Amino acid sequence: MFKKAEKLFSIMLVLVMVFSLAACTTAEEPAPAAEVEEASAPTEAAAEPAAEEASSDEGRVLTVWHYESETGAMGKSWLKAKEVFEASHPGVTVVLDNSRGFEQIRQTASMILNSDEAPDVMEYNKGNATAGLLSSQGLLTDITDEVTKRGWDQILTGGMQTTSRYENGIMGSGAWYGVTNYGEFVMVYYNKDLFAEYGVEIPTTLDEFEAVMDTFVAAGITPIAMGASEYPAQQVFYELVLNQADQSLVDNYQLYTEPVDFHSEAFTFGAEKMADWVDKGYIEKNSTAMGAEDMGLGFEGGTYPMMITGSWWYGRLMLEITDFDWGIFLFPGNEYNPGSGGNLWIVPSSSENKDLAYDWIDATLSVEAQNVMGVEGGLPVNADPTQISDPKIQELVAAFNEFSPGAAFYPDWPAAGLYDALVGDVQNLINGDTTPAETLDSIAAFYNENKPETE
Amino acid sequence: MNQAKPISFDYKKYIALLLFILLVLVTLYPILVIGLNAFKSPQDYASHGPLSIPQGLYLDGLKNFWDRTSFTGKLLNSAEISIIVAVLGVILSLFNAYALGIGKIKGRAFLLVLFLLGNFIPQEALVYPIYYLAKLVHLYDSKLAVIFVFIVIQSSFGTYLLSSVFSGFQKEFIEAAVIDGANKLQVLFRIIFPISLPTLMVLFVFYFIWTWNEFFLPLILLVSSSKQTVPIAIATLQGQHNMDVTTSSASALLGILPCLIFFALFQRTLTRGITTGSLK
Amino acid sequence: MRKKNSLQRGYFLYLLPGLIGFTLVILLPFCITLLASFTKWNGVNPPHWIGLANYDKAIHDLKFWAAFRNNLIMILAMTIAPTILGLFISTVLFDYISRKFSPSLALFFKAALYIPQVLPVAIAGVVWKWILNPNWGSLNTTLNAIGLGNLASNWLGDATTALPTVMVIMVWFQIGYPLIIFMAALQRVDQEILEAAEIDGANWLQKFLHVTIPQIRPEIYVVIVTTTIYSLKIFGQIYVLTRGGPGTATIVPSYYTYQALFEQANVGYGSTIATVMTLIIFVLTYFFIRLQVKQEG
Repeated sequence: MFKKAEKLFSIMLVLVMVFSLAACTTAEEPAPAAEVEEASAPTEAAAEPAAEEASSDEGRVLTVWHYESETGAMGKSWLKAKEVFEASHPGVTVVLDNSRGFEQIRQTASMILNSDEAPDVMEYNKGNATAGLLSSQGLLTDITDEVTKRGWDQILTGGMQTTSRYENGIMGSGAWYGVTNYGEFVMVYYNKDLFAEYGVEIPTTLDEFEAVMDTFVAAGITPIAMGASEYPAQQVFYELVLNQADQSLVDNYQLYTEPVDFHSEAFTFGAEKMADWVDKGYIEKNSTAMGAEDMGLGFEGGTYPMMITGSWWYGRLMLEITDFDWGIFLFPGNEYNPGSGGNLWIVPSSSENKDLAYDWIDATLSVEAQNVMGVEGGLPVNADPTQISDPKIQELVAAFNEFSPGAAFYPDWPAAGLYDALVGDVQNLINGDTTPAETLDSIAAFYNENKPETE
Repeated sequence: MNQAKPISFDYKKYIALLLFILLVLVTLYPILVIGLNAFKSPQDYASHGPLSIPQGLYLDGLKNFWDRTSFTGKLLNSAEISIIVAVLGVILSLFNAYALGIGKIKGRAFLLVLFLLGNFIPQEALVYPIYYLAKLVHLYDSKLAVIFVFIVIQSSFGTYLLSSVFSGFQKEFIEAAVIDGANKLQVLFRIIFPISLPTLMVLFVFYFIWTWNEFFLPLILLVSSSKQTVPIAIATLQGQHNMDVTTSSASALLGILPCLIFFALFQRTLTRGITTGSLK
Repeated sequence: MRKKNSLQRGYFLYLLPGLIGFTLVILLPFCITLLASFTKWNGVNPPHWIGLANYDKAIHDLKFWAAFRNNLIMILAMTIAPTILGLFISTVLFDYISRKFSPSLALFFKAALYIPQVLPVAIAGVVWKWILNPNWGSLNTTLNAIGLGNLASNWLGDATTALPTVMVIMVWFQIGYPLIIFMAALQRVDQEILEAAEIDGANWLQKFLHVTIPQIRPEIYVVIVTTTIYSLKIFGQIYVLTRGGPGTATIVPSYYTYQALFEQANVGYGSTIATVMTLIIFVLTYFFIRLQVKQEG
């Protein structure tokens, strides 16, 4: 018995030595991308604008990171973009790396960008707490010149530009730090079959909306699928606030133009309405334990006739719902809705292939790549509408166009950490553990303490 | 005082057995749920929810996950890191505990506390400094850094456990060996090591499994995909807006399997240890 | 006299690698964190010294106190319950099941009960959320089916049930750990003394209390100390199950630190919470170890 243990131990020791050897040798390997292009970069740096392909592109590697799945609209669109790019850049290898999930990128972005391991161009979230923060830390390249040179500001106009430009970490103005390929917004998804079964029509005002929901409640059905342990609940709360809001509220809240009055009519309306909706049974208290996934599942399974959430679900619903007919409508009575430009392509300051990175962004904005985005249920910014014949997609694009002028961004953007605070506060509201006024106080406290310092 | 009467039925033991089976079922129920979803297609999951029996065997999720994360490489990375940490960690624990528990060095209590802190300190208190230190010595994005860090962290636990166990050893026995001419190294390997083997094996299993399941520090220290480990790969499925549940379950199964196999292998050695009760 | 000193010095050599590792991986980083707690720092740009401002903020921070209060409550689920249950189950397995059925069966049970420890926390957490889903989760469905429907609750989403629910899940997670340690320890118990006690007429409980427990006291001590400290550090399960919610019902210091460090990029404040945690752990550890060392003599 003792001998056996000894034998086992010696085997382990041998294994350790083998592995240690392996570990040591891999630790010495330098980062391939940095090495490979070192030879060609100096000759490129002083060269003409990257509009012309450099024939000494041979052997260069462009590392592109993103965190979308390949089966989704963005993923497929970017695979197309890779084709487009490689066709016009023979000799350059594009390494499209989506092996990291969103959470992972979010947690480690500033660390990675502050080192030698950063990619050449990557997808990142828009907003003050994310891209804004990185820009204020000096980790992103100011791409304003490229934007004007390549005409990206003609493709991304109005509200779409807001999330691409940051000054001192606050969006809306200043230098360009990112470029988006798509848009997103929040609306109401509804189950057409259930609506028909209970004889209700798409509401056009908030009162009509509540009447529709009363019908369902009377029939013993909870009208709205909700996930209050994650983002959906706070977006619904925001919708209710926006129902009574004007542009100044959005500007104050998101851009800090003036201090926000959290007990204004609009905010009070939103909080009280939300509590009211829980009392009336439109939203169930149990939703505090459910996440976005549960919400989507509940809707897809036909348990709930409606869910109020974003266009990022559209493609998935198109794929997964086979049992019933469904559609969308904008939140009744709202001039403003949550939504914005999509995630950004950012170029890390430490990128050594910036010219190629800009070409990559061009490729993602190309009509070919954008058409793929549209066909798959994404919301492209530069697609050719004549190429999109799917009525479901046309429905989505039409709604998006209707929404665009009233883009109000997202409720958790103004302060870092506001997402978790809002989840907690709205949970308390739904549970009835805090009154609407107390909830607003709590949100106000966190917002005021954590919003960035403005001059 | 006497055991079974030949005719009566020992019902008590069957009650105990039943209770245990119940306990095990409740404990393993979550694994069953993972198994159910690992082979479900996304449409099936969407229509029937996570707790339903799959309507067919769907293996694409598994395959997609494996390809998207280059899972083979991740398995090898995890195995490499975990085994090295486990072995060297056990050796380090043994050395430390030898000095503290048998050698009874001055300031024992304080040193023990110090070492124990290595395992007890919250990783959040270490994360940013370790990131900067690793960058400093060019070990950022290297498995070596991860291995080094976890050898220290895990071995602290064993230092404590072993030195507690060693303190109970009878001094005379060791002194006898010393008088017989054995030096410290010989005492360590000929007497201490065999006696503490069951505990050492426990430590080995613990270190392997703990290191395998470590998420946070490897996440921070390993950037390149080629170096990342299994828990990080599984986490990639937590998307920004939704989670790919069926693939997550499939990947969960894949992630658990190596640890389970490892545990099963070493289980037997765990209990086939040597009784150390009497140091005669 | 001289021999004793050189004997001690010889042992010190064995301590050297451990001490070096400790300094580099633990001591040095912690000192940096300590320094960081006196600064305002976003982790990238140079830090600004602000003295005790972060600590002042912490003292007045309700969430900070809620976090530590929740931790204290969690000790019930992560220390006391697993230790007692672990002792009980391991002894029954080792003595009773092993003898009345077979050692392999005991082994099987032990392995099965350890499996929760092997699972990645993220996955196990998600599965538990399914089981505890208030509408279609297994628990509520089962309760309804057996007529106990009025007990069905919004387990993780209601502020009154959230923390207790998380505690029960933690016991599920933890039980394997003391089990393994105790079962290894039980092998050291002197069988002859046990048999002698049995001949003297001791029943199972008496043998357990007077023979078994004293002999495995080191391991019991280790389990109590380690589970207490681990309960102070708990993070992963909270992150997956409740994210500290609903409200602040399940927030814990580790998670709060994480939020400050990685979501708010407030490395200064995050370091403050982490430092306070570490100091508490240090004091507790020192207290425990001194006690244990004194007992060992």
